Amino acid sequence: MNRALGLTGLILALGGSLLAIAVILTGLKRSRPDLMRMGRAYSFVVLLGAALSVFAMQRAFIQRDYTLKYVAEHGSSTTPALFNVASMWSALEGSILLWGLILAGYLVVVAHKFRKRLDDSLVAWALITMFSVCVFFFGLMLTAANPFQGNLPLPGFDGPGPNPLLQNHILMAFHPPMLYLGYVGFTVPFAFAIAALVTGRVGEGWLVETRRWTLFAWGFLTAGIILGAWWSYEVLGWGGYWGWDPVENASLLPWLTGTAYLHSVMVQERRGMLRVWNLSLLCATFSLTILGTFLTRSGVVASVHAFSAGSVGPILLGFFALVVAVSVGLIGWRGDRLRSVGHIDSPLSREGAFLANNVVFAAFAFVVLLGTVFPLVIEATTGDTLSVGPPYFSRMTMPIGLTLLLLMAVAPVLPWRKASGELLRERLWWPAWTALGAVLVAVMLGATGVAPLLAFGLGGFAAGSALRQIALATKRLGWRGFVGRTNGGMVVHLGVIMIGVALAASMSFMSQGEFTLKEGETARVAGHTLQYLNSSTLDKPNRVELLARIKVDGQSVYAPKLNRYRQSGQTIPTPSVKASLRDDIMMSITTAPTESDPSLGLRVVVQPMVTWLWIGGLIMVIGTILSLFPGRRRNPLDAVSAAAPIEKITA
Amino acid sequence: MKQRHAQRQKWWWWTLMGVILVVLLASASGSSPTEGNSDDRLFAIAAQIKCVQCVGESVAGSAAPIALQFRSEISKQMKQGRTNDEILNFFAERYEGVLLTPPSTGVGSLVWVIPVIVVAAAALLLVESLRVRRSRGPAQQPSSEDESLVQTALAQRQSGAQEDATVSTDDS
Repeated sequence: MNRALGLTGLILALGGSLLAIAVILTGLKRSRPDLMRMGRAYSFVVLLGAALSVFAMQRAFIQRDYTLKYVAEHGSSTTPALFNVASMWSALEGSILLWGLILAGYLVVVAHKFRKRLDDSLVAWALITMFSVCVFFFGLMLTAANPFQGNLPLPGFDGPGPNPLLQNHILMAFHPPMLYLGYVGFTVPFAFAIAALVTGRVGEGWLVETRRWTLFAWGFLTAGIILGAWWSYEVLGWGGYWGWDPVENASLLPWLTGTAYLHSVMVQERRGMLRVWNLSLLCATFSLTILGTFLTRSGVVASVHAFSAGSVGPILLGFFALVVAVSVGLIGWRGDRLRSVGHIDSPLSREGAFLANNVVFAAFAFVVLLGTVFPLVIEATTGDTLSVGPPYFSRMTMPIGLTLLLLMAVAPVLPWRKASGELLRERLWWPAWTALGAVLVAVMLGATGVAPLLAFGLGGFAAGSALRQIALATKRLGWRGFVGRTNGGMVVHLGVIMIGVALAASMSFMSQGEFTLKEGETARVAGHTLQYLNSSTLDKPNRVELLARIKVDGQSVYAPKLNRYRQSGQTIPTPSVKASLRDDIMMSITTAPTESDPSLGLRVVVQPMVTWLWIGGLIMVIGTILSLFPGRRRNPLDAVSAAAPIEKITA
Repeated sequence: MKQRHAQRQKWWWWTLMGVILVVLLASASGSSPTEGNSDDRLFAIAAQIKCVQCVGESVAGSAAPIALQFRSEISKQMKQGRTNDEILNFFAERYEGVLLTPPSTGVGSLVWVIPVIVVAAAALLLVESLRVRRSRGPAQQPSSEDESLVQTALAQRQSGAQEDATVSTDDS
């Protein structure tokens, strides 16, 4: 029943997409607006199909319908309700199903939003592109990654449940959907970029259409990445929130190119420059989401996130190659129309700073991509095994991060076209003092080392610059000084700065230890005292929990746990964190006390400022929401820059 | 207001700021040993070694039995007075590709070199293209068509007829 329902949904979605492409193309060819307007109806069919499949899958999980192979492999009668819902995206096929549902959702919203302009060829081609992406994903689910494969369960069979790591924390229910809302959201600006190239309307019109969509997708991707980091921190138990794992890198890559795009698009809107570059960035962002899916789903890289291998890999890689080929081909074909109308007058200007920003972000993305695929390339060419791990990424990205902080300090005060030294000295006066203040405070709190102090100083510099901008805007506009792209963007900057400073602090001043403690004994790490009181075991439906009570600094008691899952026999620790704005103390059990050896193995990690990562992430999301609201509309005839070096404008 | 403005232009204020900053950075450049009986050095070494039986985790980050073995081996060698490099080499000789830092010699060193070359080349290209553009002089003169567009827009604005400030600049 569930299987039939799910397959029907998939076929409905695939059929709807194929028909929609045919109908819109015919409409375009024969100039029949009535046919082109049918795209909206078809988008509802696709969404209906996707929703039906997801409903069938959820129903199967709730009913523990083991006649579905996917449920038999990833469901279990003992999985708690919330994680039962989240089980759908705990492995390959189901996560592609979630992808399909979100894609169909975006499709319907686009078709609805542009319902009055469906006969416009730009919108028609954008819809064709989106329907084509739907064809790929629903086609994939009907072939290589079918979530509704049948299964003949033995009587009394019970599934193993999802990977224990994935049913250990509530964030697992939110991190993947957020991430996918971000990933899939980039399909919309990509579709419009392709439409602009196909129709030859490569001016600034399509940019304005997709500006908010990009920001929306970017906001969700940001939230998804931060929640993922939070999940690692809370679950993995060694104080790590970012392991430069290939799959984490795969989510960072589109974020980097997307961030570069959000900045460089402003140069195109204002000055008509960087057209090829912006189109390339959007196409790169979308291709990187596909490459990310390939890296995650095909099993080519070893990672805590990677799902099992299958024939999905080559198909995804093929789709990635197709997307890249189409994008490059179209940009090459339209090259003559993409010449920019303006040019940069001085490197010391807003557009110059955006250009520098883009070079740095592109370098960042390049380093991450190279580090991720390098071991694969080396193994394929020379047969050698080598690892490119966190030490490489930290060393390479530190100068990049510091440069970005410096740019965040200088760029917001720069005017368009040209800046003078006098103007810079005037506008950077207060930011320079906040920079000095930040270093002073850090030194007084005992921070040492040039690199972290540089990070704190530049962080203070950038924060001063962002605050100055917000203060000026609110002085002029009141509460509206917080909304709109420029001001909201400054709020996002504040969040980024918090994260940057927190990263520098927590990585540089981390302190940890591993202890074997008998009841009543204490351990000391970085000025904190931890006393092991006692432990007990608890029987839960799907696992046995060992719970140790630890008294921290003679005050409150924390209880890290060690879970042994009955079905898989895996042992997964659940760390306990004493979090504060100053520092976090993470406690994680390494070995359980036994009859013969009653001492507890305890790992303790103390890191300063980790909480500021999550606060910074929240502020970034708030800033993105503020940016989505329309700010004060600038009259296009108001001068925003120095006069153009054009000799005369005759009346 | 004017005074403050003048103050911000004075070079000695900025020099003072610079001097304070340099003094602060210099005074705190050394690293201080952390207190307590923590194993910071042990974990700093462990973080550079891949956990060979885990996926995507370092010896410092894993709770697997093999990682615990590796950590006790590191701790043993530390007590014997071996340096960080000696300990890392010990593991590198026994397990292929176990170090998370790519090598600085051989084919593997490309991963360090390529980004530097690419970024330098990109920066040079950018500077060069900016220089060429600027030497080409100001953009083309506005045509009479452009000017009439500007005039219409200005006239519209004066008559207050403009209702929406966003313009679509589609060149279709």
